[in-house]
Amino acid sequence: MDYITQGFIHAVRLLLSGDEQTYSAIATTLKASSLSITASLFIGIPLGFILGYLNFPGNRQIRAVVDTLLALPTVVVGLFVYAFITKRGPLGEMGLLFTIPGISAAQTILVLPIVISLTATAIESLDRRLRTNLLTLGARGRQIAVTSLLEARYAVLTAAVTAYGRAISEVGISMMIGGNIKWHTRTITTAIALETGKGQFALGMALGIVLLSIAFFINWILSVLKRKA
Amino acid sequence: MMQQTRPAYELRNIRHGYGQEFVLDVPELTVEKGISLGLVGPNGCGKSTLLRLLAFLEEPNSGDIRFEEMTAGADYASLRKQVTLVLQEPYLLKRSVFDNVAYGLRVRGEKEGIKKRVFEALEWVGLEPETFAYRRWFELSGGEAQRVSVASRLILRPKVLLLDEPTASVDTRSAALIQKAILDIRGRWGTTLVIASHDLTWLNGITDEILRIHSGRIVGSGVENVLTGPWIFNGKDLWTKQMGDTARIFATRPPDENSVAILHPEDIMIAIEEPASISAQNILRGTITYMTTSRQKDKVQVMVQTSTLSLTCSITHYAVSSLGLLPGKDVFVIFKAASLMWQ
Repeated sequence: MDYITQGFIHAVRLLLSGDEQTYSAIATTLKASSLSITASLFIGIPLGFILGYLNFPGNRQIRAVVDTLLALPTVVVGLFVYAFITKRGPLGEMGLLFTIPGISAAQTILVLPIVISLTATAIESLDRRLRTNLLTLGARGRQIAVTSLLEARYAVLTAAVTAYGRAISEVGISMMIGGNIKWHTRTITTAIALETGKGQFALGMALGIVLLSIAFFINWILSVLKRKA
Repeated sequence: MMQQTRPAYELRNIRHGYGQEFVLDVPELTVEKGISLGLVGPNGCGKSTLLRLLAFLEEPNSGDIRFEEMTAGADYASLRKQVTLVLQEPYLLKRSVFDNVAYGLRVRGEKEGIKKRVFEALEWVGLEPETFAYRRWFELSGGEAQRVSVASRLILRPKVLLLDEPTASVDTRSAALIQKAILDIRGRWGTTLVIASHDLTWLNGITDEILRIHSGRIVGSGVENVLTGPWIFNGKDLWTKQMGDTARIFATRPPDENSVAILHPEDIMIAIEEPASISAQNILRGTITYMTTSRQKDKVQVMVQTSTLSLTCSITHYAVSSLGLLPGKDVFVIFKAASLMWQ
């Protein structure tokens, strides 16, 4: 028990003293997850909107596939992306393997179903009177679509925050695509896995505290947004 | 040569419904420009469907709707810029009151003097602009939300304003303020009004004419009573409609056993005591539930609830005072079998 207490005290010291190794992992995590969340929102919100707003043949089948992909295992995503971006893969020349953009690309694939599915649900859940109301006020096709998306803004932001939480806490992709390279692609989660394996509880705990703080922060934002939605 | 102005609406052979069941059947209806037209009828009779067609929210399954000089095949989206509908349950966008009222102007690309116009519209519906303009959508009562909804339509200066049960979920003060705002804009711009409502007193104070709709058909103008079948032949010379345990309505031969009959309020008499001998076949016991002013001079509309049927009677002021009629009083309603007019 003593080593846990000692580890915790040491972790706080590492954070307060601005330990470079700790802050490098934090920076890498934030860079990779921010890149992936930006890309997934750019792609996912329009797709989710189309899926929730329009009624076209195959809509339900696509929705079923997207919902299934919500449970996508990180290591499976890591495996497929690795196969594509490895030197022998079709995208090997892009040099994404063991880079932050590589991690981000795989994380984008991981969280895209979350953004699409939750955005589609948000749009579907809009009050049925909204469209009639907008029509009676003289709005047309694109104006109605934009206003509908704005009406669902809190629920769409909830989707974004949920996706960010998933991206920041995953370990499989960061390990397989990033390679856990110190000062370069080592993220909070891969560092915790490595340091715990080496018996370096202090660094692992310090990073764990940061990850938990981010998770609490994300949860707090989520609860605020859900109240507003 | 004088230029002839077309009516606001001309409807011909309209049949419209959802799925297999037709809910609205209007062979012919003309709505003159500048008129204030009321629609009454029970829930589900087709009032809201008719309003949705007049608002160009839906195209009829068959038939033709002409709007002013509109030619066949006109763009519904552009027609919706001239006609607007106030919904029964107000829906406000998740924005401030100001942005809700300004929305219609913005989608029309109007940018000049928006603040002045929004404040003006809020004043029309009795909402103090300084207090309400920057409130958020959830910081309003039901009545205030409906008034914001009305203001967001009035600001558009529509040629036609349609209102679907605008006072259904508001208090009496809001209902009065909505009525005043609508009358004001009608006086100012000659707006054509079509209003569906269950509130006859409110409707009488705002409309020139009332149409009664029953089972998707326009069955009369005013406040006629509608009696539906089945009508059963009594073996002699009359047909009867059974009401509750013992009460029956007698009618002369209907076109068929499920025919709808109209009974004009003027054809009904009210008595305090049950008449001993009288030629009229129909004598029903009931209780006065509601009394309101009538558009006809010197008349009062008296609603009497019989065992299963509410009947509207048109009684003179003199009769009301000499019989001491008041809501809650037990009375007898009397009418002839021949007074029932078949549709």
